[in-house]
Amino acid sequence: MKNIVIGQYVPGKGFFYRLDPRTKIIAVVFLMVAVFLLESILQVSIALLVTLFLMILGRISIGRVAKGLRPLFVLLVFTFSFQIFLNREGARLLAQPMNIGLYSLLAVLVITVLWRLLARFKKFKGALFLLWLSGVYALFAFLPAAGPIYKVFDFEIYESGVVTSIFVVVRLLIVISLSTVLTLTTKPTDLTQGLESLLRPLKRLGVNSDDFALIISISLRYIPTILDEANKIMLAQASRGADFNEGKLVEKVKQIVSLLIPMFIIAFKRSEDLADAMESRNFVPGKPRTRIHDLSFGATDLVTAIFTVIVFAGAIVLRVLP
Amino acid sequence: MVMLLSFLEIRNLSFSYNQKRMVLKHVDLAVERGEWIAVLGHNGSGKSTLAKTIVGLLRPAEGTITVDGITLSDETAYDVRRKVGIVFQNPDNQFVGVTVKDDIAFGMENLSVPKEEMLQKIAFYAEKVGMADYLDKEPSALSGGQKQRIAIAGILAMKTDMIIFDEATSMLDPTSRRELMDYIKTLHQEGLTILMITHDIEEALMADRLVVLKDGAVFADDTAEHLFQRPEAFREAYLELPSALRIYYELEAAGDMTPPLATTLWRFGSGK
Repeated sequence: MKNIVIGQYVPGKGFFYRLDPRTKIIAVVFLMVAVFLLESILQVSIALLVTLFLMILGRISIGRVAKGLRPLFVLLVFTFSFQIFLNREGARLLAQPMNIGLYSLLAVLVITVLWRLLARFKKFKGALFLLWLSGVYALFAFLPAAGPIYKVFDFEIYESGVVTSIFVVVRLLIVISLSTVLTLTTKPTDLTQGLESLLRPLKRLGVNSDDFALIISISLRYIPTILDEANKIMLAQASRGADFNEGKLVEKVKQIVSLLIPMFIIAFKRSEDLADAMESRNFVPGKPRTRIHDLSFGATDLVTAIFTVIVFAGAIVLRVLP
Repeated sequence: MVMLLSFLEIRNLSFSYNQKRMVLKHVDLAVERGEWIAVLGHNGSGKSTLAKTIVGLLRPAEGTITVDGITLSDETAYDVRRKVGIVFQNPDNQFVGVTVKDDIAFGMENLSVPKEEMLQKIAFYAEKVGMADYLDKEPSALSGGQKQRIAIAGILAMKTDMIIFDEATSMLDPTSRRELMDYIKTLHQEGLTILMITHDIEEALMADRLVVLKDGAVFADDTAEHLFQRPEAFREAYLELPSALRIYYELEAAGDMTPPLATTLWRFGSGK
């Protein structure tokens, strides 16, 4: 609990670590837009290779970036299937009649239960999922159309569906990798400071980016403290007989309430104390302050800026040219 | 006629959270520059409220507070806080920065100290409180005593003349507590004015003068030597005597019938 890491930041050295957070944020935004301007599968594939090359150059472990992709796996699968099933242009590559009937549905139910039972072997999670998916396909496709049949339809895959789905997935992969590189190499505090500096022009519209950045950095600072506290309260409640893991849903909710109420009370007390401490050290909201960390652009930022401009311009040219 | 003011001058101070019950009642207190005052009192005697009123975190119902010639008001609170800093009880709840360095800088940032000067001062005061090796550490990696020392460094860096310790040692383990007390002693020797709020009589003994609060009013304001002449005063203010004195008076009260010293001590130890 003590050494909890907030965000995805991994300490390290290398090109991306030396960059000013503002450069990184702007570059990532522009590169993302550039990727969305690309139109052909060849272009995005080259872009993916360039991204990989840059990560290797910046000595960022690809494995870590892949880890960052994991939570978005469902999104990727969804986008992929959406495109492949619904796009009906170009040559037809596959047409398979599917029988959706009582027996095939029951069979699918059985393998779904089997799949969930095996899901505790976390190592083979991906493989099991694919196995289940092909199982579902096989059952619908090859189980004879016997029994009370509800519907028969053709499962079709078209050329353009395959191309677009790969295109969309590669594009998403690049975009997610780019943002992962940003969060892997930038401390949360630097990130907020960069954002604050970029949002500064909004001050004229009445948005105080200074206070916003302070709020974020204080929240980040208190996350470990509050987690620690949650742990203590859970132990305290457990010693009085609360059990956070077992019991019916209603009981579980009750147990969680017994955790949340003290947490809220303590958090309010804490924020009052903190406000006193800040005020006693002459903090006045909205008043200009100097900063111990100021951001400054260097040679690496210039290189990045030039690279970003070239890529962005290139993407526009490719888009405009026939 | 020119009145000679003390560094901190509190006159007829009253405070109430809800109009019904006065938490502070007509408190008068003067602290000279370089003095070390301990404010003692039972739970709910108003000692923490007093501390918060001095730095303008609470607005008094009545009375005036003057710090180094500046009379505290909403307009002058900023200037008063440049002269008086406060270290609170809970080490975690006053640590603003993400790292030690950021926390020491916080007060200076608020005073718009230029960056170069801040870096110099951070290095200097971190060294002074013995935390120079911890500058990039996060608060979760520090002990309570270390966090309190960082709080002191942050206040010293603001060039304050006086520090209020609001039960600053009460959440620390005995070793950290002793270390912090020793450190406060050093600060005092260097000329800092100290107002220490505590309910620990042994800690209060280190001060030049003891101010005892009872139910929001000043019950006694004297040196330790004088106060200990009348032990009944402590009982009246719901305070305990230091253990050495308690034994002394108990033995004295036993008079002719004095049992062997060991028996008496044993009775104290066992609480019978």
